[in-house]
Amino acid sequence: MHSGVARPYKESVNILVVEDEQKMAKALREGLEADDYSVRVAHTGEEGFYLVQAQPFDLVILDVMLPGHDGFEILATLRKRGVKTPVLLLTSRDAVEDRVRGLDSGADDYLVKPFAFPELLARTRALLRRGSGDTSSRFKLADLEMDVAQRSVFRGGQSLDLTAREFDLLEYLFENRGRVVSREMLARDIWRETSRQTPLDNVIDAQIVRLRRKVDGQFAAKLLHTVRGVGFVLREGGES
Amino acid sequence: MRLRPRHLRSRLTLWYVAMLASLLVLAWGSTCALLFWQLRTQLDHFAVQEIETVEGLFYFTPDGQLHMREDYHNHPESKDVIERYLEVLTTDGTVVFRNERLGNRSLDGATFSGEGIGGYSQRTSQLSDGTPVRLVSRVHVLEGRRLLIRLAHSEEPLLSRMKDLLLASLLVLPVVLAAAGLAGYTLARRALAPIEQMARRAQEITPERLDARLPNDYTDDELRQLAGVFNGTLARLETAFEQLRRFTADASHELRTPLAMIRSVGEVGLQKDGTRADYRDMVGSMLEEVNRLTSLIDNLLTISRADSGHIQLHRGVVPVLALAREAAAIFEILIEEKALQVTVEGEESPQVEGDYVFLRQAFVNVLHNAIKYSPVGGAIHVRVQRADGNQVLTEIEDNGPGIPLEDQPKIFDRFYRVDKARWRESGGAGLGLSIVKWTVEAHGGAVTLESKPTEGCTFRISLPSAPG
Repeated sequence: MHSGVARPYKESVNILVVEDEQKMAKALREGLEADDYSVRVAHTGEEGFYLVQAQPFDLVILDVMLPGHDGFEILATLRKRGVKTPVLLLTSRDAVEDRVRGLDSGADDYLVKPFAFPELLARTRALLRRGSGDTSSRFKLADLEMDVAQRSVFRGGQSLDLTAREFDLLEYLFENRGRVVSREMLARDIWRETSRQTPLDNVIDAQIVRLRRKVDGQFAAKLLHTVRGVGFVLREGGES
Repeated sequence: MRLRPRHLRSRLTLWYVAMLASLLVLAWGSTCALLFWQLRTQLDHFAVQEIETVEGLFYFTPDGQLHMREDYHNHPESKDVIERYLEVLTTDGTVVFRNERLGNRSLDGATFSGEGIGGYSQRTSQLSDGTPVRLVSRVHVLEGRRLLIRLAHSEEPLLSRMKDLLLASLLVLPVVLAAAGLAGYTLARRALAPIEQMARRAQEITPERLDARLPNDYTDDELRQLAGVFNGTLARLETAFEQLRRFTADASHELRTPLAMIRSVGEVGLQKDGTRADYRDMVGSMLEEVNRLTSLIDNLLTISRADSGHIQLHRGVVPVLALAREAAAIFEILIEEKALQVTVEGEESPQVEGDYVFLRQAFVNVLHNAIKYSPVGGAIHVRVQRADGNQVLTEIEDNGPGIPLEDQPKIFDRFYRVDKARWRESGGAGLGLSIVKWTVEAHGGAVTLESKPTEGCTFRISLPSAPG
């Protein structure tokens, strides 16, 4: 499901998934492995707790609703013992108290179930590269070139005239090239929309249609694709 | 208060009887006391007169004995005269005379200093045999000798009269109280009967039978009022229950629709072998429904939190025109795509106090509604202005198809969609406007709709102006 974009060092990234629901655990493992992470799954809080202390992980994805000790307790105990591994909490309760409690017990980020998988991958990447701060200013995919500093975009040597929003959108797609970005991600990161209730889907779709018209419109090779039910992706080649 | 009776009517009766009893005792007691006091005053009065009379009847025999002339009496003799006790003492306390009735009993013992000097000393005392007496004494000079004359009457007749009186009342009082209690109980029961009836009726009212009402034909104003208030509460409860029931039914229906689609797409997809592209399309189609379910549940959560009062508004000062502009800006691209003419105009200054995020959401929802139903090339006007009563009025007017008259009252209801068949393409579950209504009302405002079919509609959001 990934393109040929080089992703060095990925195999050495170890992620621990603590999730008691078998289906969810399987989906998380396969989804993360498809993105070239090395994944270990623990089905109980105790098992996860033991694994974290036994071997080093780069990231822990921790479900809050676990039988026995819940995710909050495990996280708090780990932090008390000085374990600094970044933790991404998965919660099914979108209540403010839960967020506060999660961040208080030492979580680095949280996601509310049901979440879009691209969202999980994006958060994972963000947590792993936290602090490294390497953002490039020049992108290239096939004959599409983007210079963020110059705010210029060329396709086949031809300059494209993009609006500010279209530019931001393309930059975001470039940063995540080869990976699907969901509408929720775009709403939050490009439109800066905090409320999940704002009906932005039509707006995003319309904006993508326009961007595609400019980027792909007169060219044979299509680069900006819609993945039905999930979102959009910038990559060479059509399916897969 | 362990003995407190359970029934109001018994309590009322008990109070009534207790009150009556204490009143009767008080009245009776004071009457008796007054009578006693009056009779004794009369007795004292008589005794004083008597002392003056007998003083003139005393004389010393040549051997120095004190005697009293007994020959002045008229016949028949007055009872009080016969029954009087008489004693004469010298200043040093020696008894010089006692009348026959007194015999050799002492009348109040030794003298005390100042007794009978400069007036009459009146007091109550007892004879040595225990007879209670009312006594008057006075010092007189007789043939150059100072003598203390003591004259007393037995108080026994007086006391026994009082005793008879009290005894009679003790016999009568319980009878009177019992009668009063019975009458009071009957009265209380009659007065409370409608309440009992109400209680019985109210008890029969269950969530399944909320349409029942209390009879409202009482003649007493208070009872009619009570029944009215109760019925009002019932009506509100019934509405609330009905809304909840409909909400639950609608919510399950709305949740069922995407679920049904996921299920059929999955089942049909598994029945035949498809290409990779077919499967991708299938999964994508299922995911679309999942997204719809997710946003539906988000909205339902917001609504249920709003209903249970769990939403906290973070109030600040919000400039309304800026809010409207921001809401319109969100849809810029849709407006361009549909070639709509959207104007946002009005006064810059009106501000309201409220939660920015929620108010923005409300404006966005109304505007989204207008954009959704506007035809290509249509026009939307947003006007912000001050209105009477310290309000800020925002009008959102479109020239879309309008809303049929019969749908207008329900437009802010949850899950209500004018065009039920069209909802999939316009992409809403009919919750947007109900969230608008909740938000505006939570801010102390009101939202109304004016629409003429085929001529578009105007939403009016009125919010109280921020102070200052």
